[in-house]
Amino acid sequence: MDYDALVVGSGIGGMESALKLGDMGYKVLVVEKEASIGGKMILLSKVFPTLDCASCISTPKMAATIHHPNIKVLTYAEVEQIERDPSGRFHATIRKNPRFVDEDACTGCQQCEMACTVAVPDQFNSDLVARRAAYIAFPQAVPKKAVVDRPGTSPCTFTCPAGIKAHGYVSLTRSGEYEKAFNLILETTPLVGSLGRACFAPCEEECSRGSLEGPVPIRRIKRFIADTHYASGRPLGVQPQADQGKRIAIVGSGPAGLTAAWQLRLMGYGVKVFEAASVPGGALALTIPAYRLPGDVVAQDVQNLRDIGVEIEVGHRVDDLEALHASGFDAVLVATGTPRSGRLGVAGEDLQGVAPALRFLEDTKLGRAGSLGGKHVVVVGGGNVAIDAARSARRLGATVEQVCLEQRREMPAFDWEIDEAIAEGVVLHDGWGVASVLGEGGVAGIALKRCTQVFDEAGRFSPAYDETVRRELSCDAVIVAIGMGPDTEAFGGTVRLQRNRTVATDKQTLQSSVPYIFACGDVVTGATMITQAVGSGRRAAYMIDRYLSGEDFEADAFDARMPKVEPADVLRRQKSHSRKDPLLSGKETLAEPRDFHELEAPLTEDEAHYSAGRCLDCGVCSECHECVNTCPADAIHLDMRPETIEAEVGTVIVSTGFKLFPADLKPQYGYGRFKNVITGMQMDRLLAPTRPYNKVLRPGDGRIPDRIAYVMCTGSRDETVGNPLCSKICCMYSIKQNQLIMGNLPTADVTVFTIDVRTAGKGYDEFYVQSKAMGVNFIKGRISEIRELQNGNLIVRYESIEDGGGAREEEFDLVVLAVGVQPNLDTRRLFAGDELSHDAYYYVEETDEDLSPGETSIRGVFVAGAASGAKDIPESILHAGAAVAQAAAYIEETRVSV
Amino acid sequence: MATANRDVREIIREGPLRRHEILKVLEDGPRTVPEIAQAIGAPTHEAMYWVMDMRKYGWVTELPDPDDDGLFSYRALERKGA
Repeated sequence: MDYDALVVGSGIGGMESALKLGDMGYKVLVVEKEASIGGKMILLSKVFPTLDCASCISTPKMAATIHHPNIKVLTYAEVEQIERDPSGRFHATIRKNPRFVDEDACTGCQQCEMACTVAVPDQFNSDLVARRAAYIAFPQAVPKKAVVDRPGTSPCTFTCPAGIKAHGYVSLTRSGEYEKAFNLILETTPLVGSLGRACFAPCEEECSRGSLEGPVPIRRIKRFIADTHYASGRPLGVQPQADQGKRIAIVGSGPAGLTAAWQLRLMGYGVKVFEAASVPGGALALTIPAYRLPGDVVAQDVQNLRDIGVEIEVGHRVDDLEALHASGFDAVLVATGTPRSGRLGVAGEDLQGVAPALRFLEDTKLGRAGSLGGKHVVVVGGGNVAIDAARSARRLGATVEQVCLEQRREMPAFDWEIDEAIAEGVVLHDGWGVASVLGEGGVAGIALKRCTQVFDEAGRFSPAYDETVRRELSCDAVIVAIGMGPDTEAFGGTVRLQRNRTVATDKQTLQSSVPYIFACGDVVTGATMITQAVGSGRRAAYMIDRYLSGEDFEADAFDARMPKVEPADVLRRQKSHSRKDPLLSGKETLAEPRDFHELEAPLTEDEAHYSAGRCLDCGVCSECHECVNTCPADAIHLDMRPETIEAEVGTVIVSTGFKLFPADLKPQYGYGRFKNVITGMQMDRLLAPTRPYNKVLRPGDGRIPDRIAYVMCTGSRDETVGNPLCSKICCMYSIKQNQLIMGNLPTADVTVFTIDVRTAGKGYDEFYVQSKAMGVNFIKGRISEIRELQNGNLIVRYESIEDGGGAREEEFDLVVLAVGVQPNLDTRRLFAGDELSHDAYYYVEETDEDLSPGETSIRGVFVAGAASGAKDIPESILHAGAAVAQAAAYIEETRVSV
Repeated sequence: MATANRDVREIIREGPLRRHEILKVLEDGPRTVPEIAQAIGAPTHEAMYWVMDMRKYGWVTELPDPDDDGLFSYRALERKGA
């Protein structure tokens, strides 16, 4: 058996139970779902009727619990299920949620919290103020260790094939930390400006805001970050690690190769990139038209690599990979992409005037293409490259028609690209295949045949034609954009190639048939998108490092992301979402485009702020890494994951406490609508030494309240909300607060509206009498309505029972709703097999409240404190004692019988 | 003050965004929450969240005494980090 007892919950009842059992010599496991033990008591200002400081009483118990030699405490953990076996022992399954913080290393310095860029309501201050995603629960937390609130990965970040922390740079932008945002993206790739323009932004497809008014323009924010950095002239904020003494050759300088080079150089490897073309950048520099991605932006990105010491040699085609290795490189990475254009395979294809799209785009981007003014060009293809070629031809002065096999809805090009092309005057002929290119010596036209099917039933490319339906288009030139392939014949004698000439690699490790040769990007996968190539380059770098370090690849560990937070769950966190319209696209398309100036306008700083402010913080933690970078103890580990712990225990004590009544279920009191209507717990926080404000202030405007009203029995003794029970503690905590208010705000008037005041307990009634003597005004009468005035004051309408009856109205600065308690329904799902009985009010039922308090319907399971019904602190402690006595007897009984 | 309420989570999320505006306002000297709210064109209760957030995390602090209306003024603090 692992533990003699399992205590579920660590409020005052749970701590008392654990301490008593521990003192008896029993081994106890305490499981607490919050990041600190202490329950609600530690959050109170003082306790009644002694007005002792709640923290001063709680903290020694909390410290004793966590340091007790017989007690093991699991915080931030939840009991998923408990099952009793025939011997009378229990098997508990516990989920230990990841704190993402090494508890041994964390010193509780709070620097992570100070640096964190995500603000959320602070549940430990009853939502009166914000906390951060990285936080310490409260100043007296035990253990005083940080925790990162991270229920999963934000959809934008989860979706990014490159592994860029999209949510992270958006939250940094929101905080005005543009340089840090730039550095965060540099953790993944140096191609910040290029991706800020040419990425197809799958992150935006997944953005939770998309189901409201439209997604956050995440890509354009990245462009803003890049432009801001490059305009600042600041040096790079990253440095390579110490020299590893090993060199790596990278063949090809597209997004995959450059990202791999970046990553490997940062790891401390010597890196040299060989590029066959005259400029580095691959598709970024050669084929993506300047109106989408200007050449100088690519050059800035490439300079990042040079700045950290990556050598780039252009005009150097590599055909012999073994020779590279023999020349002193410890590993070779092939990242040559798919530079070959597909061929039509029809008559006339080799006529003068027929050009492959990639060559045409490269000539255009490098300024080698002449004017097409007065020319008529037909572009063949339905993908993005075809669209790029068509729009580029328009800019060179041609009239352009585009022909593709697919129907418009089937075209692989992005819809918005097709729309923009059409807006620029490209005439689209969808559903046509090429029968032949017409002409003698040079292109004169193109013959088309009707395409009846592009894909077969299995989704494979399998075009079929109706040869009887034909048409011809006259033209001066044909640009063919019907696919791209790798240029790998020279490597075939060294590494194994696939039938489609891509390099064969292990899918996870990207290692080829030759151990020191790796391959990544499109040369492995065939033509994809830039971001996918970036992700592949990152993976290759990770694997090469593992290979050269002589370590296992541990491929599964690379880029292991937490599950995606579902957008529907994100939206449910709020009762309402105010409308925040997305910005317009920022693109102005012209019917007669005549130059290659960048089409999309940059975001202004205000626009970037506004757009980042629309982010819903889906994953809560944005993975901006500010906590990681700031923590002096290196204690933040975002790679932590949930753990499941199985424990066999002798007995179980359920001490899960109570919930507070949600005050907005009494709409006539205006909670949640009127800014200066608060709950009793919120007032306790305002009165506590660790209060959220500097004094007792009203939340509506920060003013010190003069006239304060209390509304007793809010959500208790109230059939209309399904709770006829008296909550027992509300009268006394209100009277306690009244006295504290009189001490804090000596000039304040306090009025308590009550059905009657219940003060059963030692010294309780004297405490009540003392309050009246201090000037608290108790009015017997129920509130029918509260209204808010323009200045935030509140009109309370009530029935004055003792003063002749009738409705009265009175104005107050602040209204406190003395909310009652409710059962914690978490207990209903705790046990498998045996049923833990609950009473008619859903509290844990005691089989005999009078004679065996604490005993439940399951033998060996006991209930301590307010989980069985409303109790104040002394009662909870007493009740825990009763439960413990029986639990100890049960442990001994089963010990003997087993 | 009788304005439509936004969800608390949404208001609080805007804190880092609004911080810059508030610090700009405080460049001219200490201000009360209603004065800050007016200066940045936001509802007072929302400004209260942001100012108290900034107080909690060391961006502002209150002057020792409230004014005759019971309002404290808040001034900017020198602060390192985010």
